[in-house]
Amino acid sequence: MSYDWLVIGGGASGLTAATLLAQEGHRVALVEKNPCLAPLLRGFRRGDFHFDTGFHYTGGLGRGEILDLFFRCLGLSERLRTTPFDLTGFDRVREPGQAEFAFPVGEERLEERLCREFPGQERAISGYLAEVRRACAVHPYLDLEAPLAGSGTFFGLEGTSLQEMLSRWTDHPRLQRLFSVHTLLYGVPPEEAPFSLHASVVGPYYQSVHGLVGGGLALAEAFAARLTELGIDIFLGRGAQELLFTPAGTLRGARLEDGTIVETRGCVATLHPALLPGMVPEGVFRPVYRRRLLALEDSLPAFTLYGVCRKANSLLHGRNIFLLGNLENGLDDTIYLTAADNGPASGSGLVAIAPLPPGATDRWKDSVTGRRPPEYEAYKAEQAAHLVRRIEEGCPELGGIKVTATATALTMRDYLHTPRGGLYGVRHRLGQYNPQRRTRVANLLLAGQGVAAPGVLGAVLSGFLACGDVIGHEQLRERVKACR
Amino acid sequence: MTDQEIIERINTSLAEEFELDLADMVPEATIYEDLGLDSLDTVDMVIVLEAAFKFKIREETAIREIRTLGDIHNFVIDKYRRQDGAA
Repeated sequence: MSYDWLVIGGGASGLTAATLLAQEGHRVALVEKNPCLAPLLRGFRRGDFHFDTGFHYTGGLGRGEILDLFFRCLGLSERLRTTPFDLTGFDRVREPGQAEFAFPVGEERLEERLCREFPGQERAISGYLAEVRRACAVHPYLDLEAPLAGSGTFFGLEGTSLQEMLSRWTDHPRLQRLFSVHTLLYGVPPEEAPFSLHASVVGPYYQSVHGLVGGGLALAEAFAARLTELGIDIFLGRGAQELLFTPAGTLRGARLEDGTIVETRGCVATLHPALLPGMVPEGVFRPVYRRRLLALEDSLPAFTLYGVCRKANSLLHGRNIFLLGNLENGLDDTIYLTAADNGPASGSGLVAIAPLPPGATDRWKDSVTGRRPPEYEAYKAEQAAHLVRRIEEGCPELGGIKVTATATALTMRDYLHTPRGGLYGVRHRLGQYNPQRRTRVANLLLAGQGVAAPGVLGAVLSGFLACGDVIGHEQLRERVKACR
Repeated sequence: MTDQEIIERINTSLAEEFELDLADMVPEATIYEDLGLDSLDTVDMVIVLEAAFKFKIREETAIREIRTLGDIHNFVIDKYRRQDGAA
């Protein structure tokens, strides 16, 4: 069987690229190492609860906003139902010794509330929010009217960090920290986060905030149904092991782990970029490029607790909680709390995510899921107990937490087949050159969170960017605009 | 470091990292046509030069004007001397 395009990786970016290319009439195959598509979006079920692992909430999903248009363009909208988050406070920040601060939906309301909370900082607040708006307006896919050209080779790598940008506007530490809490949505500290990236992540959240009924699982299933509808061949349960070339150096296919050969003229690879050098013969990539891919740093690792509240409550219905530690610790002690899934029957299941210091679980890196040493289990139990204590202190209305499962960076690594298990793949930080979509191999394109941007929006966007490289960005943007 | 030492360091670093033949690395060689680099290699070229000389050049606009290997030599020598003067 021979294809026009083989997509490696059945996560949000791969599913997007496969769908778009098939919609353009290309013959497409997709290979996913897991036994089912989109394992991170899919989450898992324990007892009466379904726990989302990848998708919790997003911006850009209001009618006519960018992710809504992307989903329409992908033919997914009919299968998805959105659920709006609490307009009066979708993210609630709890800090020691302070009243809760709630981020309302809508930039004007946010500005108004911040100004009320921080008298004397009005100029800083409106100035900073204007910077966020400006940074979003130059992105040719976040703003469909923005010029296509302009994002040069070094886009996002040079320039200002979030921390520098905040310091330009205000020296108020608590205000700075409030504007930084959403760095947790892409796992890069404010000193390293490119402001342009931060703006492109938070900008859409300042406009509207939604979940999906049925959570990430609903999105995974909508994609799966769409792929079937489009006649895309799906190879599950075996990864791509090796890319194959003709003697003249032209890409001709891929060998899968079970020996199957898939012939193709082009490939969109969405796996972790550090895995790529091991899949091509010596000499295909330059030594410096190989080394760059291998050395890419991941986004922050995290400890995740999946649990059930002991008391029925609606604290996490349509809203998330950020529990912060003392101001001088910055965001180090942050715990992000969200509902287990955002369906109407989500009950009182919850997911708590806390950043881990890099390397925290390195001691056990040679072990694999299902065969970890007792010390690792003890470490997880200790982390979980610590988290439960802090959650119970910070959110007494939950009535205590019963722990269902826990995960570390090692869990994510083994589950998602990434080298290190950072929550959002390769980190976007100042000074690190993440790979571009194009490679030296004609018709080998890269996509994924680390190549474009983090989160579901970033992953879907990256699928669009890869497809735009194939069919032309102007043409693809017209397709998106036609969905308005 | 003398100019010649700087040039040698540039040539050997680029030759090694981009698998180029040192014999082709004359100042007149154009980077894209003669040495066979392409625009995708620009990022890695910056990385190699930064690592070889322990300075940051990614934000310098002059790097975008470079056409020949000789341009790279002059750019790095100039940057090296300016940095030396500042130190």
